Amino acid sequence: MNAKQYLPAGPSPAAILILSGYLILAMAAPGQAAAKGTEAPNWQPVASEKLIKLPANYLKKSLDHDFAQSALSAAIQDADGEIGLKGQTLEDLRAAIDRADGELAVELRHQFLAQKREFINLMKRKADLRQRHIRTKQRTLEGLLKKLGREKGAMTPARVQLVSRQQQARERFKSSLEKVDLSILAVSSVPDSKYAQEYAANMGAVESLVAAIGNHPMNSQPRLDGGPVTKGDFIRQMLADAQAGMAILEQEQNILGYMAKLVALDALALSEQVMDGELLDSDIPATASPASAVKYFVN
Amino acid sequence: MKPTLKIALPAAALLAAVTLAGLPDAAKADSLANMERERALLIETMLDGDITPAERQARLQAGQRRLLDLERMVLRDDNLVGRNTPQVRRAFANYDLTFLVHASAEKSRTIADTWLAQLGITTQSLMSAKRGRR
Repeated sequence: MNAKQYLPAGPSPAAILILSGYLILAMAAPGQAAAKGTEAPNWQPVASEKLIKLPANYLKKSLDHDFAQSALSAAIQDADGEIGLKGQTLEDLRAAIDRADGELAVELRHQFLAQKREFINLMKRKADLRQRHIRTKQRTLEGLLKKLGREKGAMTPARVQLVSRQQQARERFKSSLEKVDLSILAVSSVPDSKYAQEYAANMGAVESLVAAIGNHPMNSQPRLDGGPVTKGDFIRQMLADAQAGMAILEQEQNILGYMAKLVALDALALSEQVMDGELLDSDIPATASPASAVKYFVN
Repeated sequence: MKPTLKIALPAAALLAAVTLAGLPDAAKADSLANMERERALLIETMLDGDITPAERQARLQAGQRRLLDLERMVLRDDNLVGRNTPQVRRAFANYDLTFLVHASAEKSRTIADTWLAQLGITTQSLMSAKRGRR
């Protein structure tokens, strides 16, 4: 990239001073400029009953897929693209500064600072979008967990006792099935009922289908750290991951803050350097002291 | 096929499967109510003094076969699992009393014996009973 394209006009010291002041103010609130005049892209997943019924592995994929289709995802991708281009610009400018000297170097440093400010603004915008994504995901997962809890919370002691009795009844029924068949059906001359015949015929089909479902790879139980986990545990793990993402994002925002402060300090240093050079080159005479004028009075 | 469609199709299929799995519940008749009705009729036949023993035996045998199937339907009915209503609670509180045919076949006793035993009426208690004014 040609460095001269960054030189629309030579900056005056006053302009650099104004720029440095502007940079300091802009760094204090880097996201404001980006937020103005743009409609916030959104992602609105719903913690529906259908989502709860999905297998845990598929639930994560479904959420990720839903996000990939959203305007928020598109905005993050756009921001990524812009950041990539801006990074390339910064790289080119830095290389140009190394080769330049004199007023051109000052101008390039000025441009470099302005581009760094824009880069930080873009990073801040992307961080805001990612924060929105993680918060929305957290809210959705919390909603799912709440609904899952409500389903499980319905297991009152009375209901637990009922289910236990029902299981006992089924076990007793299964264990006595042959004896019952022998004592009632074998003795009787009447053939098996239609229900008994069709149930026996369907049972084989049901068992083979259940086995196929059990062995299906998409029906595999979610696993964490090598062990199988329940759906609730899996959602809680996703929630913890989202929380970790949020903590890392906050740390990244701190880094951006430090970068912004460094750019502001660089801008001040540049303005001071330019002012010093101007003063050195000026025609203003050095302050005369009485002692230095003595030579005019002594003959 | 577009990637979006590739993902959307299995999702739609899975959701359809989930939805379809719920369909028979709505259409299914209340198995417990049907069984209770048949059991009540069987007990009524058992206690009916207006019919001959042979007639009672024939009716009980036919009723027993129907009740056998109905009891199995109730025991296999997943819709009843965890349905915490007074009817379901009462039905599963006493296996011997509710699933009369299975319980009596399991113990090699007649249905009448099983039912009366569950109510606390035995031959011994009847023999030791005395007529009197309450």
